Amino acid sequence: MKQDAIWQRVEPASTSCFDRAAVRGALLILMGLAMVLACVTVPARPAAASEAEIPYAGMDDGGLFLPSETPGYVVPATTVDTGVVIDVSGLVARATVTQRFVNPTDAWVEGVYVFPLPETAAVDRLRMVIGDRTVEGEVQEREAAQHAYETAAAAGQQASLVSQERPNIFTNAVANIPPQGEITVEIAYQQTLAFDQGAFSLRFPSVVLPRYIPGNQPIAGEPGHGWSFNTTQVPDAERITPPVAAPASQPINPLQLTVNLNAGFPLASAYSPTHDLTITEHPDGRLTLALADSQAWTDRDFELVWEPAPRAAPSAGVFSERRDDGDYHLVLLMPPELAAAQASALPREVVFIIDTSGSMAGQSIVQAQEALTWALERLSPEERFNVIAFNSAAWRLFPAARPATADAVAEGQRFVRALNAARGTEMSLALDQALDGVADPARIRQVVFITDGSVGNEAALFSLIHDRLGDSRLFTVGIGSAPNSFFMREAAEIGRGSFTHIGSTDTVAERMSGLFTKLETPALTGIRMDWPDASAEAYPATIPDLYAGEPVVTTVRLPAGTTGPLSVTGMAGDQPWSAEASLAGASDAPGIAGLWARDRITELERRRYQGADPVETREQILEVALRHQIVSRYTSLVAIDDAVVRPPGAALDTQAVPTNMPEGVDMEMATADSYAPPPVPSGHAQLAPGANTLQPIDAIRAMAQSGAAAVGVQLPATATPAPLHLLIGATLLLMAVLFAADRHWAVRLRTGRPRR
Amino acid sequence: MTGPRRPAARSWRTRFGWLALPLLALGIWQASTGLYLFGKAWLGQRLLDTAWDRAVAGDASPRPWPWADTWPVARLSAPGGQDGMVVLAGASGSTLAWAPGLLDGTGPVNAPGLSVISAHRDTHFRFLGGLEPGDALTVEAPGQTAQTYTVLTTEIVDHRTARLPDPADTPWLTLVTCYPLDAVVPGGPLRYVVHATPAGYGG
Repeated sequence: MKQDAIWQRVEPASTSCFDRAAVRGALLILMGLAMVLACVTVPARPAAASEAEIPYAGMDDGGLFLPSETPGYVVPATTVDTGVVIDVSGLVARATVTQRFVNPTDAWVEGVYVFPLPETAAVDRLRMVIGDRTVEGEVQEREAAQHAYETAAAAGQQASLVSQERPNIFTNAVANIPPQGEITVEIAYQQTLAFDQGAFSLRFPSVVLPRYIPGNQPIAGEPGHGWSFNTTQVPDAERITPPVAAPASQPINPLQLTVNLNAGFPLASAYSPTHDLTITEHPDGRLTLALADSQAWTDRDFELVWEPAPRAAPSAGVFSERRDDGDYHLVLLMPPELAAAQASALPREVVFIIDTSGSMAGQSIVQAQEALTWALERLSPEERFNVIAFNSAAWRLFPAARPATADAVAEGQRFVRALNAARGTEMSLALDQALDGVADPARIRQVVFITDGSVGNEAALFSLIHDRLGDSRLFTVGIGSAPNSFFMREAAEIGRGSFTHIGSTDTVAERMSGLFTKLETPALTGIRMDWPDASAEAYPATIPDLYAGEPVVTTVRLPAGTTGPLSVTGMAGDQPWSAEASLAGASDAPGIAGLWARDRITELERRRYQGADPVETREQILEVALRHQIVSRYTSLVAIDDAVVRPPGAALDTQAVPTNMPEGVDMEMATADSYAPPPVPSGHAQLAPGANTLQPIDAIRAMAQSGAAAVGVQLPATATPAPLHLLIGATLLLMAVLFAADRHWAVRLRTGRPRR
Repeated sequence: MTGPRRPAARSWRTRFGWLALPLLALGIWQASTGLYLFGKAWLGQRLLDTAWDRAVAGDASPRPWPWADTWPVARLSAPGGQDGMVVLAGASGSTLAWAPGLLDGTGPVNAPGLSVISAHRDTHFRFLGGLEPGDALTVEAPGQTAQTYTVLTTEIVDHRTARLPDPADTPWLTLVTCYPLDAVVPGGPLRYVVHATPAGYGG
């Protein structure tokens, strides 16, 4: 009965036994086949993972190549040609920057180009040129613009998105560049010109000097395509660190630049300290200046200087734009020529900070040393001084400032000569020591900060300067071919000093002499503007102290139709002074409203460094940026073409456009000695005890930051297929055992079956 | 299913039962291939010891076997790793099968400059994942006293974008292997990198 019962159960099972066994057998065969296939195919790599890749042999055709995931293959790099036309009219410049994205690959490409613009630029226009058509961009809230761009890119439409990462660093993402094709994008901006010590000047930056990224805690942050990871201190580091082409390769990304100069007054001279120019003079006095070198590259700032003919210099200028919501004016006022400034009775203390980080290696540290040597010679024994040097650590010449006697100056010169540029840029260490936060009416304290400003944590440093300034005044001296001018300008603004650029060793003496005139002449303080209408909204809200040769420059919005005189008053030492201008004779200039909006945003950003509520600040910036249609931290320009060009099956490769290492940055010097503890000359006080031992991660970061790649080293693939073989082998053996067991089981089943 | 059951069951056996044997053969082949690779890595170190002794004795390129295109350049000891592991010149696939390799294009060990040593993550450099900053490594070059290194940092990099330090005046040792350390399938762009400098530098 029991047997029977078993049989009863087994018999139907036996029916399905065949089916199940057949299925299991088939499955096992399939699995075995799949395993054998995997075993054969996995170690072999795909011939080319993407259409963008080409074999090494193709590199003979020239161009710049990026490493590829597939061994034996490289990816030709997408590059950008830049054409710049700057129209200068009086106090305002309008520039159009044309970026031509060239895709040398056989794939559809999204090019992501991180590029600089002047830190005062009000970017208000984006046009995409496709064949003979143009697509106009519009300003939208950053997230909305990003979403619109990404949607269009995914759909196969050509699109361009211009976002601001810093007031002087922007990203242009251009989607769906056809294989072997190109897309041209035009970006336009407005900017105010600098007028200082009798000369006008204009800077156009063309490359982002690799920034030092402090912090070694990786965080998610803002995703980008840069060489750095995001850190707690710089959560958008990936967005401000574009890849840098190996210094050994040819420069990439050519530059063409033309300036149409309509100064509005007779000129004594017009020249560029940075580039050779071809100058064409027009009958009406206008000048056209173009780069003389037909092969220029985006590897340094362009600077143009023009000086009025004697007695032709304007003492006041007003430019206006009439809009529905009011009249916008740009006002420049030169303080009256004062009697030769009497030397101040107060003792002066000057603290010099010199940046000796890796990015300063090469021409920059030479310029900085020359500037500092020049400055030390200029000091007189009644003045007291000290020197602080920093990179990943900071150290100083004397424990406290000393009178500038011949001996002390000689010791300072030796200290400066011994400096080498390497390692990180921990500016806060130096600023922390130089700014003592003390207000002492019995002294004048000036801090001269010589640096390339190449850091990614500007905002934190501005807050530090604001908090610790006391009665000190901070003067920044921008060094090198591509300094971070945003840092120079804003640090000096918050530090209530002024900024100076030294672009080459030729200009060291001239620019430092200008700076010392400012340091030695009492500043004009307590400056107030009196507007003809009480509802005037003027920026900067507080006019900074003026140093020798500096004018009052301000933008203002007044109710429509306001006329009448405006005046400025202030104190020179203990003497009052005043100057006047009139709105009546103002010349019309389009774009002043945009400049006013940009000044308002700068003011709002500055309040944030001083502790204003970030949420409220964001609302205010967003409101003014959208109303005036300019790019800001919270608003981007986006242009989208309606046509779908990329076929549905084709993939889109994202490529970060490589940039040049700025001219004069010495790679070898930048990388030498990068890890040894900083030299602390004996007898000199060590700052920030413990910080002189370089943190390991900083050493590596410092090298990465200065582009320290050991060129030519390919990291090999270092995994054997042994574990895979073992795994496959074990699986197959297990299967064999299963089959054998299955068979054995089937035999038992048959023999155990009762006869009929 | 019109036919009787027994013939059906028999036909399954005849159809699939034979598979056990080829599967067994394939399995043995695969397993032995895997074991062969491990064995080669183990055997390599044994064979290389003699070549090392010749290197120490002053032979400039002591090839471990006459047709070898590589020779010992260093011996590496590390916590968790084999003591006195012989490192060969170059890092080609055939070299790495036997021993860790000193990458061409990087300088000799224990001399100022960057030295990069690479090895398979599943054989010689299996211990790399266990290294931590502060750990001591010892590197011998033929005919010189051993140098102790301190691990500065470990990182995971993408070999397509990785930048290596380029120090000029101190020895800098970088050990590299594939990442993830315990992946079964070889390939992939990630590398596990350990940086070390002579004890006393940097950290």
